Amino acid sequence: MTAHTGQVQRLALKRFVTPLAVVVVLALLFLWLSTLSLDSIEQRTLNTGYLLDRTQEHLVLTVVSSALVALLAIPAGIAAYRVRSKAVRALVIALGNIGQATPAVGLVILLAIAWQTGFYTALISLVAYCFLPVLRNTLTGLEQVDHATREAARGMGMTPRQVLWRIELPLASPVILAGLRTALVFSVGVATIATFINAGGLGDMIVNGLKLQRYPVIVVGAVLVASIAVLIDWAAGLVEDLVRPRGL
Amino acid sequence: MYKRALIGVLALGLAACSSSPSADTAAKSEDLKGLSGQIGSKDFAEQYILAHLTTKLLNAHGATLEANTKLVGSANVRQALENKQFVGYWEYTGTSWITYNKQTQPLKTEKEQFDAVLKADEAKSIAWVAPAPFNNTYTFAIRNEKAKELNVTKMSDIAKLPANEKTFCIESEFSTRDDGWPGVSKTYSFDAPKDNVKLLDTGVIYTATKDGKDCNFGEVFATDGRIAALGLTVLQDDKAFFPIYQGGFTLQADVLKSHPKIADVLKPMADKLTTEEMQKLNAKVDVDGDEPDEVAQEWLTSQGLI
Repeated sequence: MTAHTGQVQRLALKRFVTPLAVVVVLALLFLWLSTLSLDSIEQRTLNTGYLLDRTQEHLVLTVVSSALVALLAIPAGIAAYRVRSKAVRALVIALGNIGQATPAVGLVILLAIAWQTGFYTALISLVAYCFLPVLRNTLTGLEQVDHATREAARGMGMTPRQVLWRIELPLASPVILAGLRTALVFSVGVATIATFINAGGLGDMIVNGLKLQRYPVIVVGAVLVASIAVLIDWAAGLVEDLVRPRGL
Repeated sequence: MYKRALIGVLALGLAACSSSPSADTAAKSEDLKGLSGQIGSKDFAEQYILAHLTTKLLNAHGATLEANTKLVGSANVRQALENKQFVGYWEYTGTSWITYNKQTQPLKTEKEQFDAVLKADEAKSIAWVAPAPFNNTYTFAIRNEKAKELNVTKMSDIAKLPANEKTFCIESEFSTRDDGWPGVSKTYSFDAPKDNVKLLDTGVIYTATKDGKDCNFGEVFATDGRIAALGLTVLQDDKAFFPIYQGGFTLQADVLKSHPKIADVLKPMADKLTTEEMQKLNAKVDVDGDEPDEVAQEWLTSQGLI
């Protein structure tokens, strides 16, 4: 066995530790559940149909909002970077800051009252909340590209657009991806507030369990949210490894 | 050193702000001398008012209590009582029965429910005194104009409506409890398609019901001051489906043992607290924006209780 295959095996092992741990935790959770005798209130949430529905709603909210954040915040970051005006950059970051500093619960409820309830309102709140890390990481990633590298590219006759696409963005991609990963994990947690405005998700269970003091309901809701966050972080890590340009 | 001085100044400031018990009580009696500690509350207007009412009234009879209205969530408040952090707080019989005593079937009459809860909580060294007439149960409300248009006054009228008018806003916890959605929709044959039922936070339900965009019928609390203020009509629970959430003062059993007069002192006040009276007091805080502390003080004075 060469040193190389040993390393590959270690990497493969590292990749499977996280999902394995999640599977074990979930198995233990459901084993524990099966030993409990649930009352009628608990039975209404702790059944396969309900759990699958809530988990699906949660995942859809998380993934769609993160995709939107990627679509909006990365171009915004690039634009702010290319304008090269300190004022514009400060403004864009200030907007992102407002989104993150506003309590998501407050925003979602205000929007529900002023506009409408439901999925889209929850989505907007999530996007506002997760915008900043991606924006800031895009800017930081682009700014940290070595000046000499950029000069060399230009010296080779590349247009600014070519420099951006072929040099700056690839070099910035690890930092940008790290921002997206943060946004994804954030949104898993924040998506629990969707329950307040008829947008479903696992927040339904957590709020329900808390208000009625049904501990199995809270525990299952909370563990599912945590598991999703861990799995999504893990998946994003894999993607980061795959997408990262070679040699970086 | 200056830190201590600062604390001293702060303490003085606080003392100056809080009305000192000896000044405003004009000592009705000294029956409760030696009773001290905190009266707790959950995190909504009615509870703040009740905590202040109780604190002021008991203090007028020689106690030196203060109201602590900072905890959030009813479970935490109950826990604080069980841990003896609070002397007592106002609770609802239905909540104690279903939430703390893990029952799923409520009892039918006010007295049966009160007695059952009294007995169940006795085992946890929690006593109940001063059952008040108000019943802060769930109910459905609809905006006045729409109620007229659809000609609904009681909940059994809903069954006759076309499917697109049978729209409901409820809380997520309400959606799973036997005494909530599953039971009420069955009892009154609401037969609403799943998409007609929206799960919203309590505060959002009131505005959504007022707007009528999300739903015609909103699940509300019977004593809420916003019902009248938003122009909502409460539907009559004509099959007496909803459990009783009668208010009563819960306190540490030991405290009641050493100060049995608490029950006598609170009774005249509790007797006056009907559902309508509570609605009015709650509206002062939720609608007019008055301080619960002042609302309590004014009411006690106007009723001649202190």
